Amino acid sequence: MNFPLDLWDISLWIAVTAIILLVTSELLAPYSEYLGDFVIDKTRMRLAALLLGAAFMVTVLIRVVMPP
Amino acid sequence: MTSNASSDKTKKKTNNEKSQQATIKILMETAENLQKENEILKRKTLKSQRTPSGKIGFVLLTIGALTLIGSVVSSNTVLAFIGLGLTFWGALFLFSRPIKFVRGTLLDSTAVSSYTTIDRMVEDLNYKGKPIYIAPYPREAYLPEYMKGLKEMIVFIPAEDITTMPTMEEMAKKQFLLKNPKGICITPPGYGLTNLFEKELRTKFTQMNLERLCSSLPNIIVKNLELAKELEINQENDLINLKIVDSAYKDLYSTEKGFKSIHSIGCPLTSAIACALAITTAKLVTIAKDAASPDLKTIEVWYQTLEA
Repeated sequence: MNFPLDLWDISLWIAVTAIILLVTSELLAPYSEYLGDFVIDKTRMRLAALLLGAAFMVTVLIRVVMPP
Repeated sequence: MTSNASSDKTKKKTNNEKSQQATIKILMETAENLQKENEILKRKTLKSQRTPSGKIGFVLLTIGALTLIGSVVSSNTVLAFIGLGLTFWGALFLFSRPIKFVRGTLLDSTAVSSYTTIDRMVEDLNYKGKPIYIAPYPREAYLPEYMKGLKEMIVFIPAEDITTMPTMEEMAKKQFLLKNPKGICITPPGYGLTNLFEKELRTKFTQMNLERLCSSLPNIIVKNLELAKELEINQENDLINLKIVDSAYKDLYSTEKGFKSIHSIGCPLTSAIACALAITTAKLVTIAKDAASPDLKTIEVWYQTLEA
């Protein structure tokens, strides 16, 4: 009963997700009509993307300080 | 004979006064009723148009958490990735759910009652003058208690086109009906928006000049508040030209609604800009002319500044 992902897997996942989020928040039109009934706050999405980017940097630092 | 004539005159005068009072009472009641209707409509629209992003967020979060637990039990890497992804997107949808966002259609439906009321008042009182935006005193300026009314932004709708301005004493009394010169004083429909612009700009309009206002307002309206797709303000002597593309309030200009006051007072957005211009220039501002394209996509307004 162990968590199947190691730090490197999570780091990779975080990096990919951060890129997707950043691109989405940039491309998202300011008018919600393009998204139909689905409304999302662009600035908060970008904030989440930046936080994920920072989290990725932290995982890289951990890898540097404590190599496997 | 002369005493009969004078008594007739006084009777007529009292009758006139009574009818005027009755009209004002009716107008006040109509305004109150319309406001109540407006509140009910607001609640109904909000109820029927709730954003579904919250529900999606909860569903994703639950499925993601279950998948993560499944991945731990079965030690499956693929399941763990799926679980992480679902949990993350679920949390993101809940986090980025815009609680304060409302549909654009709600904006003009809430403004409709105000314009109907203004139209009714002006028509009933048979006022033909052009509304004039009068800049208030700066909030930080010291004024004696009885003059505090001067710190509020007002629009003066005169009974006749060519008229003198009301005196400071009259404006300070915060009266609705003014007798000399004849007219009414109302709060501009865009006054609330003007305060919002100041908040977004993090400065006061009194501390800005016209050039800075013309360059910074489009940014706030288009990018921050998203009230229009494009906005341009150009200054030509005492005329200021405003061009708005795809305004959030464009439907108020439709001929179906047929508001007369919208062309003299302006929609909430153009009214807010008129307030900002009046405060910045410390001059009187009127809407000289306005034009809307047939599809209402482009709205042009010409403001005129007048010396107080």
